[in-house]
Amino acid sequence: MIEIFQYEFMQRAFLAGILIAILASVSGTFIVLKRYSMISETLAHSALVGVAVALVLEYNPLWVAVVVSVLSAWLIEYLRSEFSLYSDAILAILLSGSLAIAVIIVSLGGEFNNSLFSYLFGSILSVSNENIMTIFSFGIVALALLLVFAKEFYFIAYDEEVAQISGIKVKLLNYLLVSIVAIIIALSIRVIGTLLIGALMVIPTVAALQFRVGFLHTSLLSMVFAISSVILGMTFSFYFSLPSGATIVLCVLSIFIFSLIFNKK
Amino acid sequence: MPLRFKIPIFDVKNLNFIVNGQKILSNISLEIFHSEYIAIIGPNGGGKTTLVRMLLGLEKPTNGSVKIFGKKIKNFKDWNKIGFVPQRAAQVDQNFPATALDIVKMGRISKRKLFSSESEEDIQAVNDAMIKMDILDLKEKMVGTLSGGQRQRVMIARALASQPEILILDEPNTGVDTVSQNRFYALLSKLNKEDKITIVFITHDIGVIADDIGRLFTINQKATICNNPKEALSCEDMSALYGISAHLVHNHKHEH
Repeated sequence: MIEIFQYEFMQRAFLAGILIAILASVSGTFIVLKRYSMISETLAHSALVGVAVALVLEYNPLWVAVVVSVLSAWLIEYLRSEFSLYSDAILAILLSGSLAIAVIIVSLGGEFNNSLFSYLFGSILSVSNENIMTIFSFGIVALALLLVFAKEFYFIAYDEEVAQISGIKVKLLNYLLVSIVAIIIALSIRVIGTLLIGALMVIPTVAALQFRVGFLHTSLLSMVFAISSVILGMTFSFYFSLPSGATIVLCVLSIFIFSLIFNKK
Repeated sequence: MPLRFKIPIFDVKNLNFIVNGQKILSNISLEIFHSEYIAIIGPNGGGKTTLVRMLLGLEKPTNGSVKIFGKKIKNFKDWNKIGFVPQRAAQVDQNFPATALDIVKMGRISKRKLFSSESEEDIQAVNDAMIKMDILDLKEKMVGTLSGGQRQRVMIARALASQPEILILDEPNTGVDTVSQNRFYALLSKLNKEDKITIVFITHDIGVIADDIGRLFTINQKATICNNPKEALSCEDMSALYGISAHLVHNHKHEH
C-alpha cells in the first residue's frame, strides 16, 4: 500500500479520483431520485465531443469538454421542459448524436484515435498536474452549489410540482443541477472514462437506497461507497495492471450486489 | 356564511380552458374567501383537477383570469400562504429515501434564506404541524413503510409547516381506509374551525363529503355553486352532475 504512493502519478490519480467520487455520488443522489440516471451517460458522450474538438484544435480537452457538456445539458433540459417529448427518448437521441459527431470529428482529424481511447475508458497514468488543478477548481464550485441548494434539489426530486407551488424556483434549479452534473462528468472522463462515469454516478446511490434510510444517511452511504470503490479500484488497477475506470466500476458493482443481498427482504 | 374579508383568496372570473378544440372548463367564475371550508366535487374528467391546476398557476387558462389575494397569478409571489396536497399524496414512491420528518421539513424550504441553516422558527413550525396531524411518533419512520392514512397526514403536515392561510387538497383519500378517512375529516374540520385555515377539498366521491362543509362547488365543465350544500345537494342535482342515477347517503361520515 505504501509503494503505491511513491509514484507521483498515483498520488495525483488518488486525489482526482476521490474528489470525483465525492462529486459524482452527491450529484448522483439527486439525478437517481429524479429518475434521470441516463443523463449521466448522455452528458458523458457530449463531453466526448468536446474532447474530440479540443484534440483537433489543440485546446485543453477538459475545458472544452466542460463547455460542450454544459451546453448539451441545457439543450436536454430545454427539450424536456418546453416540448412534450419523453425525457428518456431525448437522452437516447442526444447520446447517439453526440457519439456520431465525436467519431466524425476524430476521423477527420486522423491521428487522435489513441488519445480519444484514453478518454473513453479513463487513464490514471495520464492525469496531469494541470488536470488536478482544473478538477479542483471546477469541483469545489460544483460541490459548493450542490451543498447550498441540496434541500431544494431534494424537494424537487421528491415532487417537482409541489416544490413549484411552494414557491421554489424549479425551472432555474433544474438548469443548475444539470449544469453541475455536466461539469462533474466532463471533469471525470480523464480518470474514469466516458463509458464508465455513469456507473460511478448512479450505482453508489442505488446501492445506498437498498438500506432504506433517510436522505442524509443515503447521501453519506453513497459517498462512502463511491470513495471506497475509487480507492479499491485504483489499488487493484495498480497492482494487477488493470484499466483504472473499469476496475473502479467493478468495485462499485460488487458493493451494489452486496447491498442487494444484505438488504434482501 | 360569514365572509370576513372583502378581498377573496381566490377570485376566478370567466375562466375557459380549451384543449385541442375540446372544452374542458367553460365560463367558470367563483370566489373563495378567508376561513371558508369548500368542497369541489364532480365526475372524473369533469375538470376539477384542471381548475385546481389553474388556481395554482400550473396551467394557463385559454381565457379568463385568476387572482390570488387580489394579485394576478403571474405577480403573486407569496406561495407560502398556500398549502397544496396533491392527488398522489398517499401513494409516495416506496423507495424514496425520506423519513416523515424529512418530508414535513420540505414545507419550510421555500421560506429559508440562502446559506442559513434551520431556524428556531422552522423547528417550531415543523413540530407544530406534526403535533396537529398527530404524527410526532412517526417522525423517524421511512415514508415508504407508513400506511396510506399515515402518509396522508405526513403530506398535510408538510403543507401546514409553511403556515399557510389556505389548504388545497386534491382527492387526498385515494388509497386510504374508512377509519383514517373519518379521522382525516375531523382533522380538517379542526384546522378550519380552530386555526381558521381556509380549506378547499376536491373529490369525485360524492359519498364522502364531510358534514362541516360551508359551500359546495360542483364542476362538470361548468360550475354550480351551492351555498347550503345539505339542502341543495338533491339526488336530482347529483344525477344531473354525474349523468347517473345517484343515491345520496346522509350522515355518510359513518356509513361510507
